[in-house]
Amino acid sequence: MGFVLSSLKKDIARWRQDATAILLWISVPLLIGGILTLLMSGSGAKPHGVLLIADQDDSLLSSLVAGAYSKGELAELISVEKVSAAVGREKINAGKASALLIIPRGFSDAFMQSEPVTLTLRTNPSQTILPGIITDVTRVLLDIGFYAEQLFGSEIETIRQANGNRGLDDARLAALSIAIWHKIESVAPYLFPPAIDVDIVEPPPDEPGVPFALLFLPGTILMAVMFAANGLAGDYWAEHNQGTLRRLVSTPARVTGFLAGKALAAGLIITMTGGLVLIIGFLYHGITWDKLPSSLAWIFVSGIGLFAWFGALQMMASSQRAANLLTSMLLFPLLMVGGSFFPFAALPNWIAEIGRNTPNGFIVDRLTREITATSVWAIDLQSWLIVIAMVVSGLAVCAWRLKAGFARG
Amino acid sequence: MLVVDNLVKQYGDLIAVDGVSFTAGKGMVFGLLGPNGAGKSTVINCISGLLRPTGGHISVAGFDIRKEAKKAKKALGVVPQELALYEDLPAIDNLRYWGKAYGLRGEYLESRVDEVLNTAGLADRAKDLPKTFSGGMKRRLNFACGVVHKPPVMLLDEPTVGVDPQSRERLFELVEAERENGSCIVYSTHYMEEADRLCDSLAIMDHGKLIAQGTVAGLRTQLGARDVLQLSGSFPGDATKQAIRALASGGIDLEIINHEEAGLTLTLSGASQHLPAIFEALSGAGALVSETSLRSPNLETLFLLLTGKELRE
Ligand SMILES: Nc1ncnc2c1ncn2[C@@H]1O[C@H](COP(=O)(O)OP(=O)(O)OP(=O)(O)O)[C@@H](O)[C@H]1O
Ligand SMILES: [Mg+2]
Repeated sequence: MGFVLSSLKKDIARWRQDATAILLWISVPLLIGGILTLLMSGSGAKPHGVLLIADQDDSLLSSLVAGAYSKGELAELISVEKVSAAVGREKINAGKASALLIIPRGFSDAFMQSEPVTLTLRTNPSQTILPGIITDVTRVLLDIGFYAEQLFGSEIETIRQANGNRGLDDARLAALSIAIWHKIESVAPYLFPPAIDVDIVEPPPDEPGVPFALLFLPGTILMAVMFAANGLAGDYWAEHNQGTLRRLVSTPARVTGFLAGKALAAGLIITMTGGLVLIIGFLYHGITWDKLPSSLAWIFVSGIGLFAWFGALQMMASSQRAANLLTSMLLFPLLMVGGSFFPFAALPNWIAEIGRNTPNGFIVDRLTREITATSVWAIDLQSWLIVIAMVVSGLAVCAWRLKAGFARG
Repeated sequence: MLVVDNLVKQYGDLIAVDGVSFTAGKGMVFGLLGPNGAGKSTVINCISGLLRPTGGHISVAGFDIRKEAKKAKKALGVVPQELALYEDLPAIDNLRYWGKAYGLRGEYLESRVDEVLNTAGLADRAKDLPKTFSGGMKRRLNFACGVVHKPPVMLLDEPTVGVDPQSRERLFELVEAERENGSCIVYSTHYMEEADRLCDSLAIMDHGKLIAQGTVAGLRTQLGARDVLQLSGSFPGDATKQAIRALASGGIDLEIINHEEAGLTLTLSGASQHLPAIFEALSGAGALVSETSLRSPNLETLFLLLTGKELRE
């Protein structure tokens, strides 16, 4: 036990020399998360993508199609801007929007008569998520053209009448497009099950009324945690190279004590790193402080779990360069799908599903629950047991690697 | 204190240590002398537990290193050939950490840390990071970390490599002080002068084997009073041998140690007297001498005598 403590103190003292690394682990996520959060919140939930619609048809139906993009949670992601086709092309070429949708003249008539109709959608290649969402929604809108009459009998009737007297007020127009949208939502999964993700932008079911911007916080915290865990795990090679692991083997001290001390030190540094981001997030979003202990505890335990596995990977590699290549090749994809750059709620379902099953995504998901739930200690026992198992298994692999020759080599 | 019995260490086909046996007692420095790649570090690493021996037995302070590894390790102090320090941890904290790794605690630990800082001449730099130290200071700290727990048996693997003369002298003093305290010290080196100065007993190692062993004085007498004559140039095979043999039967006490096309090494007594006769005989045999060196007997020439090659090439 005594050696666990001295191993811990030794590592803390050493990392204090490397404040710049720790500062980077904190500041990069703060910068990225901060920008995303500001984009998401600001004054009155500003959407972060622009969909240009060039409505050459200028009919009621075309305005309903255009309206479909600003319904439900989509409205928080996309703002619709009506433009002429020429201006639209100019803007999309200049990268000033996520996508441009051109509704051609005659669209309404063709649609009513179930004739083929082509909408042109140009997406912005430099953006990833939003154009994808817009593409999905558009495809749904197009594909259902065939079923339109069966599905939207009553709405089409309303439109016919309105076309007759040209007198549909804004309120009824809105109600109509909501009705259409709901039908699309409820029917689309049965018609095109795998291809379409209509509920991408559904709010997470058990977190009603959570501000979208807040969903960036757990991912941002985990970005700091992952950076720290990965950086700290590089220390095994540092100790290997400076001969201290070899010296350790010649002492009577236990490798497990050494490892436990290192893991606890890493846990503390990770908690400090992620905790700082967390506190800034709490302050920004006005989250009550009673969530602090449980959130920090979750970061501490899961941070050690990540550190343990990054360490295990480091020590499995045949050289320090291979180790760094391996872990950095893992780090960014994991952050991408694990909810650190885009909240799960903004990712297509299937990606979010993969993401929640990555180690960091799992941790993000539960941290989101903890932060947004109405009660404290909202993470279930099973999840706690899973991260504890991650700690134990990761450290076991580390101990095995150290004893199997990494320390002697 | 330390018994190494028929130690073997094999790396695949390479036999790095081949049946090495020796014992070292209290209050003595046992030298392990040999050229690069002789297997000195391999022997030391087998004793310290860093390498698993392929065969043989080792006991430290009466503890078998396999059966009672922990007790054996506790009795050992290791100063590795390569530095093994936390460069980003103050010197004093390095010592504390390694002291704790050996089970030292509390006041005793602090007093030992102070003591070794003083003997290593690092007391005024105790709070500084080793990465700001000179090479010699790092070596001294490396040494101090290995002896902070006052081990009865110490393994020093070429502790003076890359050290300036003053630091070297200081390290010698440290070793001598430990010997005074009754430590049993194994000291590996490829410097004859170090072995000469420090070691009470010496084993000469080459290609994984101990080729000679004894006290320094004993090894000297083994060499006798013979000088070593090294010649380079060109020495045609049989003719050269015959010429030398003729000289030997003519009453000159000499012997060939090594004979190659381009070099000839001989031992002989009273060399300076016989040089003209030797040169005459060689040129008669068609040999050409381009360089000559004559050395009086010392450990270096003993090594040459035993192996036919230089200790350092
Ligand atoms: N891990 C290893 N794998 C294979 N061969 C090794 C290994 N370590 C050492 N050797 C070989 O074992 C032999 C003895 O090496 P060792 O390091 O013990 O020599 P040494 O006497 O300490 O030399 P030096 O004076 O250069 O330190 C060498 O031939 C070396 O190449
Ligand atoms: Mg060596």
